[in-house]
Amino acid sequence: MRTITLPLALLAATLAVSFAAQAQEHSAANSTPAPSTVAAETKTHAPIRPEFSPRIEGERRFHQNCGRCHLAPQKYPPRMMATILRHMRVRATITDEDAKIILQYMTE
Amino acid sequence: MRLDSCLHSEAAASTDSLRDPRGRWRSVRWPLIVATALVLLALGPRVAAQTDPSDSANDSPKPIPLFSAGMGFVTPFEGGQPHLDPLVSPVFLVPLGDHWLVESRDTFESDLSTPPGSDAFHGVVEKEVDYLQLDYVANPYLTVTVGRYLTPFGIFNERLYPIWIRNLQTDPLILSIGTGPSGAGTGAMARGGFPLSPKVNVNYAAYYSTQINQSPVDSYRAAGGRAGLFFPGPRLEIGTSFQRLLQDEHSNAFGFHFEWQPPAIPLDVRSEYARSYLGSGYWIESGYFLSQIRKAQDEFRKVQLVGRMQQYFVPPTYGPGPYGDSDWSVPWWNTQEFDFGLNYYFRYNLRFVSSYGRQFSSWGNENIWTLGLTYRFVVPLGPGEMK
Repeated sequence: MRTITLPLALLAATLAVSFAAQAQEHSAANSTPAPSTVAAETKTHAPIRPEFSPRIEGERRFHQNCGRCHLAPQKYPPRMMATILRHMRVRATITDEDAKIILQYMTE
Repeated sequence: MRLDSCLHSEAAASTDSLRDPRGRWRSVRWPLIVATALVLLALGPRVAAQTDPSDSANDSPKPIPLFSAGMGFVTPFEGGQPHLDPLVSPVFLVPLGDHWLVESRDTFESDLSTPPGSDAFHGVVEKEVDYLQLDYVANPYLTVTVGRYLTPFGIFNERLYPIWIRNLQTDPLILSIGTGPSGAGTGAMARGGFPLSPKVNVNYAAYYSTQINQSPVDSYRAAGGRAGLFFPGPRLEIGTSFQRLLQDEHSNAFGFHFEWQPPAIPLDVRSEYARSYLGSGYWIESGYFLSQIRKAQDEFRKVQLVGRMQQYFVPPTYGPGPYGDSDWSVPWWNTQEFDFGLNYYFRYNLRFVSSYGRQFSSWGNENIWTLGLTYRFVVPLGPGEMK
């Protein structure tokens, strides 16, 4: 038991910090109007550029993340894409924000 | 409040133990664990409710189960000896609710060759459970995985291994270092990726694997992790991996990886370095699509040229590994290898692959040719509107 106590405590601490950081971030985000779309959410994380559009941003994020291993966009029906994005989020450690924007782009 | 009471009562009951750092740790470990668990229990549901990536208020499409498979038929010629390598690799993805995913990938492959004195190809079908895991996407920073998973050491094993993704069909010489003979672990893993700033993303994985000797789900007892920094602007990733083998040699392995796709040109450059008691080595690979050639661009953009160089260095003390000689597919001699490949994409999921390589070692030099086709598909499983 003694040998696993420290790893357990470290794992628990990591989880706690993770949850706490997330709670802090979202409490800050909740002070502004709730984002209803991926594009709107992006505005809370990235500076707004005059030429910003969800499609361009989605394509950019696709190439940054998916394009590292896969060829140009192959679009599937939205519910299939939702599964593929969840899979790739785990497999390729894609960030939550990138996964949402890419999902929006691949299903529009 | 209860935590304070608990700490005070334990401290009063064992003042001697507080003078000893080890005793102090023993005295506070359980309150610490309990407190941490309470924090998790208190924050978890609230945070989950706030951050559900696909909650009912969100109009994100609901994921459905998928079946995918990659298959290939590759013909390597190693040292003039022809082989036939058919391979099928089914993948199942089953999302459960808003946060869960069950995923698996198996591989059925054969290495058919002609025994001495025979013209017929013979071989056996080898089966391997590459991964069979349950993922829980806890929040934007953390995913918890249990089951059998691909060992996150370097980038090749997790991201580039499938034959429909890799640019060259031959494995890197250092592939077994840090990933083990099967490339998979059995246990638990925490992983995730999140933005550190608008210009930098962090990705990480930490795992513990137990020992299983039963094929096709064999794994060894180890703990380790990988961390990487990804710069989306220049599309550059650098990272490092570490593993502690918790059986037999109880040795360490570490490595570094690098990946770069300059946005301006259709080029990707990847590299890994790894070191363990088995030896050390590196590979560096670049792939370039000919889409910048203006003439007949529709055809040239489907052509990819690939080059790879790798070296492997055997330590003077090298001996048979803990699993016998055949399980660790690392060279027994100092080895260098150069490979050049040409791939042609008929479609995004169907391609012709070919390569020529030359391997140099003190055991002998040989040519390695490969020719083949790779294909993959994905189909939905289950009913329901697709939108």
